[in-house]
Amino acid sequence: MADKSPTIGKEQDDARLLLARVPLIRGACELDLLGFLRRHPRSLLTSEQLAVFVGYDMKQVAKSIEAFTEAGLLGRTKNRLHSARMYSLELNGQQGEGLARLLELAGTKQGRRDLLEVLAPRQSQQSPVDAVH
Amino acid sequence: MTEPDLVKTGIAGLDDIFNGGIPRSNVVLVEGSIGSGKTTMGVEFVYRGASQFDEPGIIVVFEVSPEKLMRDTLRFGWDLQKLEKKGLLKIIFTTRDVLRQELQQADSVLLEESASLGARRIFIDGVDRLLGSGAPESRSSFYVLTEGLQRENLTAILAVDASTFRGKMAGSLPEESIADTVIRLEMEDVHRAIFRSIEIVKSRGQESQMGRHAFRIVNGQGIQVFRRVQAPRPPNQESHATYNPNKRLPTGVPGLDEITNGGYCLGSTTVVAGISGVGKSVMGLQFIAEGARRGEHSLMLSLDEQVEQIKNNARSVGIDFDSSIKKGLVRLEYEPPQEIDVDVHFHRIVEIVKEFKPKRVVIDSLSTYGSVLGTKGRIFRDFFHALMALMKEYQIAAVYNHENPEMLGMASMMGEFVMSSLVDNIILMNWVEIGDSLRLAMTVAKMRGNPVNRLTHECEVVQGQGMRVLPREPHKSEQPFSNYAGLVSRSPERNTTKIEVVGVRREDPATDEAA
Repeated sequence: MADKSPTIGKEQDDARLLLARVPLIRGACELDLLGFLRRHPRSLLTSEQLAVFVGYDMKQVAKSIEAFTEAGLLGRTKNRLHSARMYSLELNGQQGEGLARLLELAGTKQGRRDLLEVLAPRQSQQSPVDAVH
Repeated sequence: MTEPDLVKTGIAGLDDIFNGGIPRSNVVLVEGSIGSGKTTMGVEFVYRGASQFDEPGIIVVFEVSPEKLMRDTLRFGWDLQKLEKKGLLKIIFTTRDVLRQELQQADSVLLEESASLGARRIFIDGVDRLLGSGAPESRSSFYVLTEGLQRENLTAILAVDASTFRGKMAGSLPEESIADTVIRLEMEDVHRAIFRSIEIVKSRGQESQMGRHAFRIVNGQGIQVFRRVQAPRPPNQESHATYNPNKRLPTGVPGLDEITNGGYCLGSTTVVAGISGVGKSVMGLQFIAEGARRGEHSLMLSLDEQVEQIKNNARSVGIDFDSSIKKGLVRLEYEPPQEIDVDVHFHRIVEIVKEFKPKRVVIDSLSTYGSVLGTKGRIFRDFFHALMALMKEYQIAAVYNHENPEMLGMASMMGEFVMSSLVDNIILMNWVEIGDSLRLAMTVAKMRGNPVNRLTHECEVVQGQGMRVLPREPHKSEQPFSNYAGLVSRSPERNTTKIEVVGVRREDPATDEAA
C-alpha cells in the first residue's frame, strides 16, 4: 500500500503557509465565519442569526466580526437602531489574495480539516471563552 | 394619452405576451410550485436588466446562498459575479424575519442599498412565508413591502410558492389583489411528460395576451416563452392570409400540373390524403425538388422520418438533395413527435419560415400531429389554423400529407380530421383493386377557386424516377381508368354503357375492344 503521509504533510504545509499570510484567522470560528461570508458576501442579518448560521457562540462571533471589520475585510452598516446589519465581505484588500486562496482550500472537506489541524494548537492557547465551541 | 413606460424583461418571448414589457414600478407576483422556474425567471429579469438595459438590480434570497446562485446561473451563461464587480448587481442574503422588520422602517437598509446602487429592478425569492397565509397582518406586511418598492421606483418580481395558494381561486388572496401583475407558472403532467406553462393572470396598466403559453428553461440561455398557438394574430398579419390565384408553382409530378391547372397557388393549402404507401411523401419530395430546380427555397418538415432517411427516400426516386441543401435552396427538418409542445413547435416553424423564407413547404404528416395533439379537441385544429395562416402570410404553397386509414376507397376525405373546409386543395390518393392487382389512383377532389374535372387518374411510382400521373387513354395492356366507374368507392365496375365525361365522348370499352 502506498504511503500517503508525504502528500498529507505537503497539504498541511500549504495550510500552514496560507494561515501564516492571514494572521487574522486564529481558530475555527474565524475560518468558518469567513467561509460563510464568502458564500454570502452581502448578508443582512442580526448578529444572533449570524452566530446561529455559523454555529458558534455569539461572543466569539462578535469578536471575530470586530477583528475582520478592523482589518478592513468586512464592511457593516452602522445604524444601531436596526437589529440587523448588512455585512459585506471585501476580498480586495491587502490580505485579499491570500484569504481567497485560503477560503478556496477551506471549501474542501480535506482542506478544512488540514487548516483546523494547523489551527488547533493556536486555539488551545486562546482564553476558555474563545474556545467554547 | 402618454404611452406607458414599459420595462423590458429581456426574457425571450415574455415581453411579447406582455405586449412590450411590464409597466415601470409594477410589483409582479410570480406564483408557482417548487421547480416551476420562479427563481430562474426572477434572476433573469434582474440579470437582463443589468446586462442589457443598463438597469442595475438587486436579488434578495432567503434559502439559497448567493455563491450557489452564481454557480447555478452560469449554466445559462449569466455571470452574476461580473455584474457585481461592475456595480450593476447586488445579491443580498437575509432572513424573512429581518426583511419583515426592515419593511417597517422608513430607513430600510435594504432600500438604502438599492438606492446606493441606483437599482431599477429587484427580485425577492420566496416571499410567501414572509407574508403569511392570508391573515390581516400579511396583507399589511405585503402592502408595506409594495409601498417601499414603489418609493424607490423599483420594478419588482416577488416569487411565491404556489403551495401557499393551493386550492384557492386567482385573485382570492390579498397579495394577488395588491400586486400589480400576477404571473402563474405551472407544470402539467401529460401522459408522464411535464409541460411548463405561464399565464399572466392580471397586469395593471396594460393589456396582455391572456391564456396559458408554453415556456422552457434552456441551458445557455434561460427562460424562453412561446406564445400560445391559439392566440389571435395581429390584424395586419391576418390581412395577408390569402392565396395568390395568379401565381402557381408546378408540382414536379409529371402529369399532375395538367390536372391542377398548372400547379398549386402561392399561399395555398393543399392536403394530399391517402393510406400509407400510396406515394404522398414521394409527391412531397418531388414538389421540393422541383422548387430547388427552379431556384426556390423549399422546406420539408417531417415528424415521421429523420433527415437522413428523407434523403435516402429521395435518392430512391432519383432526387439528390445534398447539392440543393449545400446551395441553401432546400432545408429538411425533422422533429421527433414524442412530447411535442405545440407552442414550442409552432414557434420553431415560425423561426424557420422567417429565416429561410421558403416558397414551398411540405409537412409530413398531419396524421402524426393528430396522433400527438389529438384530433378531437381544439388544440390540433387551432394549431392547423395557425400553421395555415403563417404559410399564407408568407405566401408559401404548403402541402400537408395526411394519412387516411382507408385502404380501398374513401368514405371521407380526411377521416376524423374535420378540416376539409379549411384547406384550398385536396388530392385523394387511393388503391383501386382491379382484377388481381392494386392500382394507384389520384383524384383532385377540391381546388378552391379553380374548376377541376375530378376525374380519377392512375399514377405510378417508378424506382429511380418517382411518381407520374398516367394518361387516361390506354397505355399498357391493362384497361385504363376511363373504362371504370366508382374508382374511389370500394368496388369499381367496368363501364358497359356510353358515358360522357367533361365533353369527351367515350364508347363502351367492350365494344372498343371488339372493334
